[in-house]
Amino acid sequence: MMEITICGRGGQGGVTLAKLIATTYFLKGKYVQAFGVYAAERSGAPLQAFVRIDEKEITNHNQVYAPNHIIILDRTLIVPGIASTMNPDGWIIINTPDTPDSFGELFAGRRVATLDATSIAVDNGLGTRTVPIVNTTIAGAIAKVFDLPCDEVLAALEHFNFGGSNVKSAEQAYAHVQVATLPGQIEKLADSANGTPVTSLLDKTVGGMPRIKTGSWATRKPERQHLTPPCNQGCPAGNDVRGFVEAVGKDDCDLAMSILLESSPLPGICGRVCPGPCMDSCNRNEFDESVNIRDIERHAADHGAKPAPTKPWRGIHIGVVGSGPAGLSTVYHLARLGYAVTLFEGDQELGGVMRTGIPAYRLPREVLDGEIKYILEHGVQVHAGQFLSRDDLLRLTHEFAAVFVATGLQDARTLDLGNAGADHIEQGIAFLDRVRASDVRLDGQRVVVIGGGNTAVDAARSALRVGAKTVHIVYRRTRNEMPAITEEIEESIEEGIILDELVMPLRLAKNSTGFALTCQRMILGKPDDSGRPRPEPDVREGSQFDLSCDRIILALGQSMDTSILPEGSAIHEEGQLLGLTGAPLFAGGDFATNEGTVSAAIGSGRRAAWHIHRTLSGEDLFPPPAEPTASPDYITTHVFAHDPRQKTIMLEPQTRRRSFAEVRHGFAEEREIQPAVQEANRCFSCGVCNTCDRCLEYCPEGILLRDGDGYRFDASYCKGCGVCATACPRGVIYMTEL
Amino acid sequence: MSKSLVTGNLAAARTLAAAGEANRAALGCCAGAYPITPQTEIIEHLRGCEFSKGRVVAVESEHSAMAVCMGASLAGARTFTASSSNGLAYMVENIFAAGYYRLPIVMIAVNRTLGPPWNIWVDQGDSLMFRDAAWLQFYCDSHQDLADTILLAFRVAEDEQILLPVIVAMDGFVTSHTTMVVDLPDQAKVDAYLPKCNVPHRLSHAHPSTIGGLTWPRETELHRHEIQQSMERVPAVLATAIDEFELVFERRPAGILEAKCTEDAETVVIACNTMARTLGDVVKARREGGEKIGMVRTKMFRPFPREELIAAIGSAKRVAVLDRNHSPGSGGIFWQEIAATLRERPDVLLQDYVVGLGGGDVTPAMIGEIIDDLNQRSQSTAPIWKEAAA
Repeated sequence: MMEITICGRGGQGGVTLAKLIATTYFLKGKYVQAFGVYAAERSGAPLQAFVRIDEKEITNHNQVYAPNHIIILDRTLIVPGIASTMNPDGWIIINTPDTPDSFGELFAGRRVATLDATSIAVDNGLGTRTVPIVNTTIAGAIAKVFDLPCDEVLAALEHFNFGGSNVKSAEQAYAHVQVATLPGQIEKLADSANGTPVTSLLDKTVGGMPRIKTGSWATRKPERQHLTPPCNQGCPAGNDVRGFVEAVGKDDCDLAMSILLESSPLPGICGRVCPGPCMDSCNRNEFDESVNIRDIERHAADHGAKPAPTKPWRGIHIGVVGSGPAGLSTVYHLARLGYAVTLFEGDQELGGVMRTGIPAYRLPREVLDGEIKYILEHGVQVHAGQFLSRDDLLRLTHEFAAVFVATGLQDARTLDLGNAGADHIEQGIAFLDRVRASDVRLDGQRVVVIGGGNTAVDAARSALRVGAKTVHIVYRRTRNEMPAITEEIEESIEEGIILDELVMPLRLAKNSTGFALTCQRMILGKPDDSGRPRPEPDVREGSQFDLSCDRIILALGQSMDTSILPEGSAIHEEGQLLGLTGAPLFAGGDFATNEGTVSAAIGSGRRAAWHIHRTLSGEDLFPPPAEPTASPDYITTHVFAHDPRQKTIMLEPQTRRRSFAEVRHGFAEEREIQPAVQEANRCFSCGVCNTCDRCLEYCPEGILLRDGDGYRFDASYCKGCGVCATACPRGVIYMTEL
Repeated sequence: MSKSLVTGNLAAARTLAAAGEANRAALGCCAGAYPITPQTEIIEHLRGCEFSKGRVVAVESEHSAMAVCMGASLAGARTFTASSSNGLAYMVENIFAAGYYRLPIVMIAVNRTLGPPWNIWVDQGDSLMFRDAAWLQFYCDSHQDLADTILLAFRVAEDEQILLPVIVAMDGFVTSHTTMVVDLPDQAKVDAYLPKCNVPHRLSHAHPSTIGGLTWPRETELHRHEIQQSMERVPAVLATAIDEFELVFERRPAGILEAKCTEDAETVVIACNTMARTLGDVVKARREGGEKIGMVRTKMFRPFPREELIAAIGSAKRVAVLDRNHSPGSGGIFWQEIAATLRERPDVLLQDYVVGLGGGDVTPAMIGEIIDDLNQRSQSTAPIWKEAAA
C-alpha cells in the first residue's frame, strides 16, 4: 500500500489534490482512499490530507502516520521533523521557487522534488494572487515524480471537469518540476513527543490566548483610518464639530469649549445664529434626523469655561479694520499667535452686522458682548467710532506690519418702485439698526418686507415686535428657495407673519388708506445660474394684484463697498493690491467673499490670520489636505437605534411676537442626564474612532487590545476575518490584502 | 452497477435519491432537510436532485425537518432525512413521535460528538441517545456497507410486519468525508429491489381520521407492546431483505452483525463502524501469529441482537468491547447491552474500553494494547478510559 501525506493551507485545494491523486490511480484500476483532517474551516489554516493506494480493498481508516511520500503545498509549513516518520525511499514534493539542493540540510539523504507551483497557478489565473489554488499544478508535478504518463493525471483532471488553465498548469508542472536525491544521511529523529498537555474545561489556567498562533493564516489584515466627518467638512468656520459634540456627549463642556476656541472665538453666537451647514451634511439625516449641533454648540458655549486669555509676546503690530465676525476672528487668532493687534471700527460699538443686523431676540446683547470681551482680553487695542478712508488705510500700512480689512457689505441693493412712496421705503439693514438703537414704533402699520434672506425675516419679525398690525414677506420664488434659515421662517409664520410666495413687487402707489403695492404673480421656470428655479411672470389674466400697506422694507441683499481700497484694486486669493507701498494688506469676510454667514466669516478670518502669520514669520499653519469625507456609504446605520432629537425650549408665539426677549433657550437642563448630553450622543462619530469597543467585542479571536485612544491588533493571532471592519459602524477599520 | 469514487456522504445521498425515485410509481418521495457539519454534503446533493414525484423541503431547523418527514410519511411518501450531533439533539421530540407514529422514515446519522466542548469529529453519543425511541439502528463500517444498508433499511422499515423508522449511522469525516471506491446501485436495480412504499395507516381523504390522539393506558401499553413485537420480527424480515438483495445486486451485505475468526477464539473483541475495520486488520495479523482471537462487528444496535451475539461469541472466555460513546454514570453504551446479554455467560470476562471519544484516532497499536490488557486480566473492572486515564 502507498500512503501519501499532503501538508497545505485551507484554500490551496489540498483535499482536492488528495482526491486527484486517488482518482489518477482509481482510473488505473486501483483501490484508493482520500481524506482530509478537517478542523478550522478557514482560508489559510494549516491542514493535512491523506491518500492511500492499494491493489486490494483498503480497510485502514486511520490517519497516515508513516507516509511513503509527503507533499508540501506551502514551504512555510516545513518544520524540523516533518519527514521523520517517512519512508526513506519516498519523495518530498515541495511547492517552492527554490531548487531541491537548497533543502540539503533539512532533508539530507532524501529524494526531494521542487516546483514553483504558486507562480504557475497565479500566471494561469487559478485562485487569487493571495490565495492561489495550486492543487492541479502540483498534480502534474506528482505525475512526473511518480513516473506516470502526464495523460493519466490529465484524465483525473477531466474526471473532475477541471479543464483549461488547470490542464495547462499541470502540463507546465510536469515539464518543470526539479528532482534530486540529496547527499548525506537521513537524520534519525526521535519519535515526535506525545507530551502536549491536555487541558480541562475546568482548568483555572484555561483562557487567554490559544497556543496556536493563527496570524500566519491571514491573507488580509485590518487597518485603521481617519476620515473627515461630514459636519467638519461642512463647517465654514473650520470647527472640529464631531470633536466638540463628543465632548458634550461626555458632559465635558470645558473640553468642548477648548475644542471650539481652537477655531472660533464666537461659539455662543454660532450656537444661536448659524444656519448649520454641519446639520445639513450630518449623516444622521439619512437615518432619522440630523444631530442638533447648533444647540449643542450653544450649550457648550453657555456652560464651558474659557481658558485665561494670552497676552501679545511678539512685539509685532497688526491693524484690523472692521469688527464683524471676520475681523474679530482675525484679531483673536492673531492675538493667540502673540501679535499685538489694533482693531478699527467705524461704529461706536463692536460686532458689525452681528450687532446692527441680528435682532436681540435671536442674539442677546450680553452673549455678543461677552464673546467680544474675551477676544479683547487678549491685549487688543480698539479704535471705534470713526470710519476709515482710502488715505487712512494707506497710512495704516505704514504704521503696522500688516493690515487686514473686513468691512463687510455696506451697499444695500435697492428696487425701483416709483416715486410715490419713497419716504415710506426703508432698507432692512438700516431698519434693524434703527430698531436696535432707538425706540422705533410702527403701531397699527401694515408692513411689507421684500426679500427672502435672513435680513428679510429679521426685519419682518422686528416690525411685528415694534407694533406693526400686519407684516407680509413678499418673495419671488417659493419658501423652499428662501436663503433664510428654515427655522426662522417657520417661527416667523408661527408669530403671524404672512409669507407671500411667488410674488414680485412692481410699483408703489398712494391710495385712500395709505399705499398700494402692485404685485405680479410668478411661476417657477428652469434653474438659473444659482441652481434655483428662475421666477418668471405668470402671464395669465388677473395675475397682478394690489397689497395695501403703510411701509415697505427692502431686504434684497447687500454688496461690498470697495472705496476704502486703492483705486482700481480687485481682491484676489493670494493676490497683491495695487498702489500699496507699505505693509501687506489682506481682505476677508463678506467684504472679500460675500458668503453671508457668521461662520464663513470666522473661517475667513482664521485663514487670514494664518496668511498674515506665514507672510510675517514664514511658519505655515495651514492644515494638510483633509482626509476623504466619511460619506453615508461608510456608515453602518443599522447598528444604531432610531432616536428622535431632544426637545429644546422656545417661547410661545403669543409671548414672543411683541418682545425682543430671546426666542430660543436651548436644551432643558432639569433632568439628571441633560438633554444636551443625550443629543450629543446621537452623533455617529463618522469616520473617527470614538472607542465604542464594537471591534473589540466582536473580534472572534479576542485579539484586539485597548491602546491609548485606540486599539492594537495582535497580528500574531489575527486571521484577517474582517469581522472588526464589519462591526465598525463608522468606517474607521478596513481590510487590506497582505 | 458501476464503481464510483465518492465520499461517504455522496454514497449515502445518491442511494437515498435512488430509493426515493424508485417510489415514483406509487406516492413518490419526500425529505425535510436541514444542514449541519458533517452531514451537509448529503443535504446539498439531495436539494439538487430532481425527482419524478417528490421533493426535498428546506426548513429552518432539524425539529422542522423531522416534522416535514412525519407529514410526508403520514401522506404515504417514501421519506428520508439526515442529521448529526446537536442537530439530532434538537430533533429529539419529533424523533420519538416518528417512532411511536410508526412511520417508515430512513434517517442517516453522520455521527458527530455532542458539544460542548465544541467538536465536529466522530463519536456515537448522538444517535445512541435514540436507543429508546422506537427506531431501528444500523452502524456501517464502510462506504459500501452504508449504501447497501440504506436500501435494506427502506425494505425493513416499510415492511408491513415492521413499520418503524430506521437510523443508518456512519462515522463523521472518517466515512462521510473520505473518498473511496464504492459500487453504487443503478436506478433500475433499486426499482427492482424496493417495492412500492405502502404506509397502511396513511391519512386519506377517503377515510378521514386522526392518528395518535389521546388514549387510555391500556391502549398505550398495547401500542408499545406491538412495537416490541415488530422489533422482534426484524431479524427474520432483515434476513429476507438480504437474500433478495443478493439476488438483485449479486452482493451480500452484512445484516445483524459480522463475526470473524470466532469459531475457536478464546478472546473476542467487539466494535462497530470503521473502528471495526481497523480491529479486523489487527485480528487478522494476530491470527497469523497464532493467537486464538476473533472479532465481532455489531452492526444492528436496535433491536439488540442478543441471540446472535451469544452465538457469535461462541466459546470465548474473554470479551472486550470498544465503545466510541459513553453514558456518564454508567459506561460504554454497547457494553451495557452486551453485559445484559452475557448474564447467560457468567464464565466470560467482559471488559469495556472507552476509546476515540471526540474523534480520536483509534490506531492498530492502541487496539493491540487493549488486547494485551484483556489477555492478562484475571477479572474485569469498571470501564477503562484508554486515552483520558493514560
